[in-house]
Amino acid sequence: MNPVSENVAQKRKRPNTNSPAHNLTGPERLVYDEIRKVEDKAIWGSDVRKKTFLTEAQTKKHLESLIAKSLIKEVPNINYKKRRYYMAVEFQPSAELTGGAWYTDGELDKDFISDLKELCKRIVFNQKVVSLQSISNSIKEKGYLKVDCPLQQISEIMRSLVLDNVLMEVTSTGMGEFEAFRVGTLCYRRVKTGGDPKVGAMGSIPCGVCPRINDCTPDGIISPKTCVYYTKWLDI
Amino acid sequence: MVVQHGIKLAVNIISTHFGSLVTKVCECLLRKGTLNLPDIVRYTELPVQQVKHCLLVLIQHNCVQPFIYKNEENEGAVPRGTHYSVIFENIIHRMRFPKFIAIVSEELDKQCVELLEGLLQHGRLTLEQIILRAVSKLNEGDCAVQDALRANFVKLVDAHYVERCPASEPIANLQDEGKNTSTRRRSAKSAKFAEVETAEQQVMTAAISSERFVVVTNTGTDVTSEKNTFENLSNVAVGEKRKSEAVEMDEGDQCEKKVLWRVNFEEFVRHLRHKACAASVRSRLDDGAGVILKAMLEATKRAERKVKIEKSAPLSEDAIFEEVIKSEEGRRMAPTQEHVRVALSQLGCHPNSIGTEETYSVDLKNIIEIAQNSEIELLVSKRYGEDACRIYRLLSRSTKLMETDKISDTTFIEKKEALKLLYNLWKDGYLHMEKLVVGQHSILLLWRVNKIVMREHVYDEMCHAALNLRLRLAHELEQEREILQLPKDKRTGAPGKRFERIRKVNVLLESSLMKLDEALMLFHDF
Repeated sequence: MNPVSENVAQKRKRPNTNSPAHNLTGPERLVYDEIRKVEDKAIWGSDVRKKTFLTEAQTKKHLESLIAKSLIKEVPNINYKKRRYYMAVEFQPSAELTGGAWYTDGELDKDFISDLKELCKRIVFNQKVVSLQSISNSIKEKGYLKVDCPLQQISEIMRSLVLDNVLMEVTSTGMGEFEAFRVGTLCYRRVKTGGDPKVGAMGSIPCGVCPRINDCTPDGIISPKTCVYYTKWLDI
Repeated sequence: MVVQHGIKLAVNIISTHFGSLVTKVCECLLRKGTLNLPDIVRYTELPVQQVKHCLLVLIQHNCVQPFIYKNEENEGAVPRGTHYSVIFENIIHRMRFPKFIAIVSEELDKQCVELLEGLLQHGRLTLEQIILRAVSKLNEGDCAVQDALRANFVKLVDAHYVERCPASEPIANLQDEGKNTSTRRRSAKSAKFAEVETAEQQVMTAAISSERFVVVTNTGTDVTSEKNTFENLSNVAVGEKRKSEAVEMDEGDQCEKKVLWRVNFEEFVRHLRHKACAASVRSRLDDGAGVILKAMLEATKRAERKVKIEKSAPLSEDAIFEEVIKSEEGRRMAPTQEHVRVALSQLGCHPNSIGTEETYSVDLKNIIEIAQNSEIELLVSKRYGEDACRIYRLLSRSTKLMETDKISDTTFIEKKEALKLLYNLWKDGYLHMEKLVVGQHSILLLWRVNKIVMREHVYDEMCHAALNLRLRLAHELEQEREILQLPKDKRTGAPGKRFERIRKVNVLLESSLMKLDEALMLFHDF
């Protein structure tokens, strides 16, 4: 045997005949292969049955057996919470299944989001103007969070605060309050709110929130003359 | 933009002010578009004489403009006779008369208010008629009083609040409009969103005289004698005698006496637009930016050729500063050039170089759009909740279609909940949805806000709400007519309570209507 071929033979991994994946029955292997094929996307139990042409009872039995052998795992899917999805143990569920960084066990982590939003809001209110980098640094330096929060997540939180009309996006001019930021940097500042919460012209009258506005006519069954919402509003 | 409920609101206003006959003619013109007399008679099934009288009333009150079609290339293709086009905006402006009066009473004196009231009440009058009306109201009519009235009238014209009436029967050239005559008819849906000027709109503009703000008054005379005429031309030295041209002047004088005057709604709308822009900036940015914008608009208002200008006329930093310190409000904030520079930067103004000077102009269209969006957001929030408002805000700021999952992720709303909210907004016409088939089984839903359709939709709903407020107010007042006529000493006990209630209801409904009208103007006139 020449040295090269000897070397190759040494490097080649010998199949582990003791591994549970090698001691699978025919139908079990079929089920396992289908599950492995989808990688981190996971597959619905019912789809496994369709693809392997096994009966429901057989599929169920093999799935349970594969779980017992620690070859596959059941994972939640945020889009179909009642369905059972399966995935090979070596994969981690994709963001499509988990919902992404903001989801924990298939549920939107509302408490964490609202805490983080509150924290970012407080920092902006204190510092008047911030950039993504400066707020991220502040969070890290002061040790506000026990977990690491990447810039991307901070950016998503800031964007959400803009959508809440709490913060506004401004571009640094490099002058005055923007002195600490390079010209053109995307910054955030508090939205000016003038005292009382604003109520729109339509929002302050019954028609603005009326669910039957499309059925309302001057002399119809639903009419402003007989409108119960108006009567309630004018009950002064 | 004329929407279904806009027409209904206009019809209601005309019906309250002029009764059922005029309403029938006006509604016919609003729904069918420009028509000639025989067609109006045919559609309304009224006697010719009655239709003529109704048209005269509508013309007198500037709600209808008559004109003649002309086509130099093809005489045969021209619709014959005088045609009548309704001016929707002028009908809706009738709701705003108290606002217009308030503007004049703020800026000018009481006599100007009296004169303006006369014109609003009668639509169009000659100067002589205006003076006569004011004199009869004052119960004193000597030369000095009449001179004071004329001087105040000149003030109103100088401020552009009053103008000469447009030509009575201008010519609309069909060639200018191209071959597209289909736009002449207003369809039942009648959504005129594309801002294409039709022959009628062109004629409305052309009908306005170039001398619309030139006033020639005779001071030192009273309305019954026609001696000792002095010419007082606005913008020309007052009281300058021209004795040598006395004969020519007498003829000119006679012509001037026939000149009809009317209220220039355009100037009032411009005033209110400027005010709304300044108020929006003030609430969004700060008082300083508001004061500086107001000053800039005040300085450039005479350069505006139409109300809906996109950008204010360019102004140098020095000129802005000079204008700011003219007003008491401006002086109170002790402005410096730095203040002006900061406010201009807040307003998003970038300097343009014209010659050696750097000038600034403000994007008014953007300010109006932000104000409109804010009104829609408040409505969405009130009707569908905070989460839906967040979704709407996200989509209204995006220029592209957005997929459901992306919307849910960005707004931190559970996917199922987001889909439900998106569906509700789409169902009520706030969103546009497109389906994208991916692979064999999967369908992606893409969403966006169609701003033009959206604004039309909201404006229609606002017109509906304004109509409902008017109808309910009329109904309430009708129900309590007897109570309202009770003398003061009998307003005790139960009738007293009912009187107090109807008074409060009246105030609430009227004030809500005024507030809603500001939103109507924001979406239609600004």
